[in-house]
Amino acid sequence: MKKTIAVFLIALMAMTSVFAGGSQETTAADGTTTLTFAVWDYTQNVYLAKAIEAFEASHPDINIEVQDTPAADYITKLNTQLNGGSNVDMFLIKEADKTKTFYDRGQLANLTPYIEAAGIDMSAYNGTDANFTFDGGTYGMPLRTDQYVLFYNKDIFDAAGVAYPDNDMTWTEFEDIAAQITSGEGANKKYGAYFHSWNACVQNWGVQDGEHSIMSGSYEFFKPYYEMVLRMQEAGTCMSFAQIQASGLSYTDVFSQGLVGMLPMGSWLINTMVQRNLSGESSVNWGVAVIPHAEDVPNGYTVGATTPICINNASKNKDAAWEFVQFISGPEGAQIMAENGQVPALSGEGYLETFASAEGMPEGVMEGLYATRISPDRPAMDKVTEIDQMLLAEHQLILLGEETVDEGIANMNRNYAEIMAN
Amino acid sequence: MMIEKRSPVKTALIYILLIVLTFITLLPLLWMVSASFKLSSEVFSFPIKWIPETWHWENYVTIWQRINLAVYTFNSFKLSIIITLIQLLTSSFAAYGFSKCKFPGRNALFLAYIATIAIPWQVYMLPQYVMMQKMHLIDTHLSIILLQSFTAFGVFLLRQFYITIPDELLEAARIDGLSEYGTFARIVLPLTKPAMATLTIMSFVTVWNDYMGPMIYFNSDRNKTIQLGIQLFVGQYSAEYGLIMATSVMAIIPVLIVFLAFQRFFVEGIASSGLKG
Amino acid sequence: MAQTATLKKKSGSLKMRQALIGYSFIAPNFLGFAIFILFPVIFTIVLSVMNWDGFNAMTFAGIDNFRAIFRDRVFKSAFWLTLLYVVFTVVLTLLASLALACALNKKIKGRDAFRSAIFFPYVASMIAIGAVWKQLFESNYGPINMALRAIGIDNPPGWFASTDWAIWGVIIVAIWKFMGYYMLIYLAGLQDIPAQLYEAATLDGATGWQKFRKITLPMLTPSTFFVFMMLTINSFKSFDLIYALTTGGPGTSTTLLANYIYNQTFVYWDYGKSAAASIILFVIVLAVTIIQFRGEKKFTDYL
Repeated sequence: MKKTIAVFLIALMAMTSVFAGGSQETTAADGTTTLTFAVWDYTQNVYLAKAIEAFEASHPDINIEVQDTPAADYITKLNTQLNGGSNVDMFLIKEADKTKTFYDRGQLANLTPYIEAAGIDMSAYNGTDANFTFDGGTYGMPLRTDQYVLFYNKDIFDAAGVAYPDNDMTWTEFEDIAAQITSGEGANKKYGAYFHSWNACVQNWGVQDGEHSIMSGSYEFFKPYYEMVLRMQEAGTCMSFAQIQASGLSYTDVFSQGLVGMLPMGSWLINTMVQRNLSGESSVNWGVAVIPHAEDVPNGYTVGATTPICINNASKNKDAAWEFVQFISGPEGAQIMAENGQVPALSGEGYLETFASAEGMPEGVMEGLYATRISPDRPAMDKVTEIDQMLLAEHQLILLGEETVDEGIANMNRNYAEIMAN
Repeated sequence: MMIEKRSPVKTALIYILLIVLTFITLLPLLWMVSASFKLSSEVFSFPIKWIPETWHWENYVTIWQRINLAVYTFNSFKLSIIITLIQLLTSSFAAYGFSKCKFPGRNALFLAYIATIAIPWQVYMLPQYVMMQKMHLIDTHLSIILLQSFTAFGVFLLRQFYITIPDELLEAARIDGLSEYGTFARIVLPLTKPAMATLTIMSFVTVWNDYMGPMIYFNSDRNKTIQLGIQLFVGQYSAEYGLIMATSVMAIIPVLIVFLAFQRFFVEGIASSGLKG
Repeated sequence: MAQTATLKKKSGSLKMRQALIGYSFIAPNFLGFAIFILFPVIFTIVLSVMNWDGFNAMTFAGIDNFRAIFRDRVFKSAFWLTLLYVVFTVVLTLLASLALACALNKKIKGRDAFRSAIFFPYVASMIAIGAVWKQLFESNYGPINMALRAIGIDNPPGWFASTDWAIWGVIIVAIWKFMGYYMLIYLAGLQDIPAQLYEAATLDGATGWQKFRKITLPMLTPSTFFVFMMLTINSFKSFDLIYALTTGGPGTSTTLLANYIYNQTFVYWDYGKSAAASIILFVIVLAVTIIQFRGEKKFTDYL
């Protein structure tokens, strides 16, 4: 019987391999190479399609096949594919802090030889490549950068007779202004400010100084910001955490429905807002300013994230893949991104001007994107995801009033030590 | 079935309870339908606005234009039907073996079946993926068909129904000269139509609603299913909830049709008529 | 002598024949099952005592993974929360689905519609379920708390905004979502009960309740075993409902074993720890199954 089963197993294995249609010859008879490129939200990120189109036009011997996955599951799928030995050639890393894990497993190709051969000046990436440099090698090219800015609703400011936020504001001033522009009751209430339910939307203001990070281990530096948000919740000048959770509202809805005066949020929202206003789905009159800062933190210090593009170490077409990586992360790619509502990681050449002059952009976007230092929201370090989840749990408890700020911070410190020791 | 007299008060109470329960169970459906006619920025509000201010009928047109919904729907039907058929066929066979045949190792094998149900799928997803990669089945429908057709669930479910069939009944059939296969086909299968109906509904629903499997295994647009299609309206920074709900409402219709068609097998007295207890 | 030997041989070959027939029934399913499910699951069991990054060679870890999860504050809290959740969800869903099946097995008006409506939560979109229930349970203006205040409860629970109450909110929604699904199994089980049993009992003058206890319940034993097992396993495994309602919060007050395993696998990519955590579930289910097998033997004897 065992023998029969064994024979059956082998036969079935053989049969399934007959069905095989998945293995692709990557180099066709006519000499063109097909590269697989893993991305998320392909239709929303217009710049990707435009860049691929331009690249294929200038490189007729290379075809790019896009593999699109929904954003929420992108990293899960990419991880499975890389572990499963897939031959996807190039990919973006959505959660940039995961770059370290992929590097540790040896799944990323070292780009340093290519960078040196091409003579690329990495200083044009403003140091964002440091996050993807391990043991002296660069394993990802910085592609796009997102940073936290302050979105504001001009109509709400006008109605309250308060001047628009200038591009140098402290968190104390922010709190005062929020109180001044809050108005109405019940369904008609306009909140002065809105902190989205992510822990980043409070904890970032402690990380903003560039000295602390969410991996610091003793989290007393969060205290002033939790106290500020709790004060504002109490005073009703920002929407309460409990209400945000219960309503299921997204920050985009809250802002484009005109419910809040000021929203500290990532620069990715700029393009979404432009699209919403152009499509007529929203008619909010909005602007962008530099994120507020603490008294002892210089203006222009903010928090953000840079997305890298990497080459799979198992790719059979690394040279061709590099051609594309160089193109999209270089000046041509940066220009295409800027034209299509995305801030490139590459600096200079007036990309920001191009970005800010696109159709539907409010005035002052370029000034609002002023930044002298962008600290990573999640540094590429071991266990950063665990720590981030832990911080989120305590964040919820503090903002729901289930524990005091001091208790919450004490728990964060204790949990940090436990996670790092385990 | 015997005729029983129930007091009108009791009957009324049962109706009231059922109607209240039905109202609560249908709230999400009402919400889905209402949301499917809204702009995405209007979908979430506090409190819920059950009736849209303006009816955006065009959502139901847009979903067919924006994504390849016809292809995805076809794929969903294809996978759900094929997997359900294989499950019905092989599970009923195996369930008969596990409940009515005697062979060494029967209980141990059955225990192995049940034990696998206990392990969350995420945990053994990676070895499955590696296997599919080696067989070059990534991005083919065959991968999902192979992975989902032989789950322990169907075998377990049907076995539980088969063991209620008295052995004497099968004995009688064997004496009448039916082979083991004949007994299975002529006696057991007709008696367990309600169980087969249950498995059909459950298997169809599971495959139809599966998102993670197709998400991991299908790369090309032509292979994607309706649940993946819905996700195309969800972006990293914003989601088009009006379109998501319009697609979700469309996606639920086949499920409800399958349910309505097969729940008819749960009619008191029909299946049991052939049994002598 | 020679005769008994041939008899023995005959009965031996008969047994062999029976066994072969038995194997032939399970073979088509078992082949697929062994390759695509059982083999990966065995791999997982091995994984629980290994260190693995998912890509490179594994190293033997002994019981390190188990030690690590038992040291993990989140795991410990998830373990006890899961027990609480499983006990209440399993018992209450089982009772609700049995009651519904009995009620909807009768010839009442609109039966098909009621059945479909009660099955519906199982197939409803998770986004819709999350949106509706989060608002129903909202602590200040939500309809549930308004109703509680109306009947004189001045300080109603905070539900999803409270670490003490969130798990109870989740349990209520879970019962609501799954009762229709298990009702189906009971409905199918009810069809298998021979009508003659009831007729005989009626002739003996049995009341409705007596018939339920002496006929319906015992005859439903295999269905109950199935419902009980699947409910237990699925309560241990289900994470998408909790994800839609609370994402495991506030804090970790609704983070159950399934969410823990999900996080270990898909968020932290710690394959050894996720395998170890699922082995614990595996052992529990195995123990329950073996106990149930004993009970089932009694049932088949009873037939």
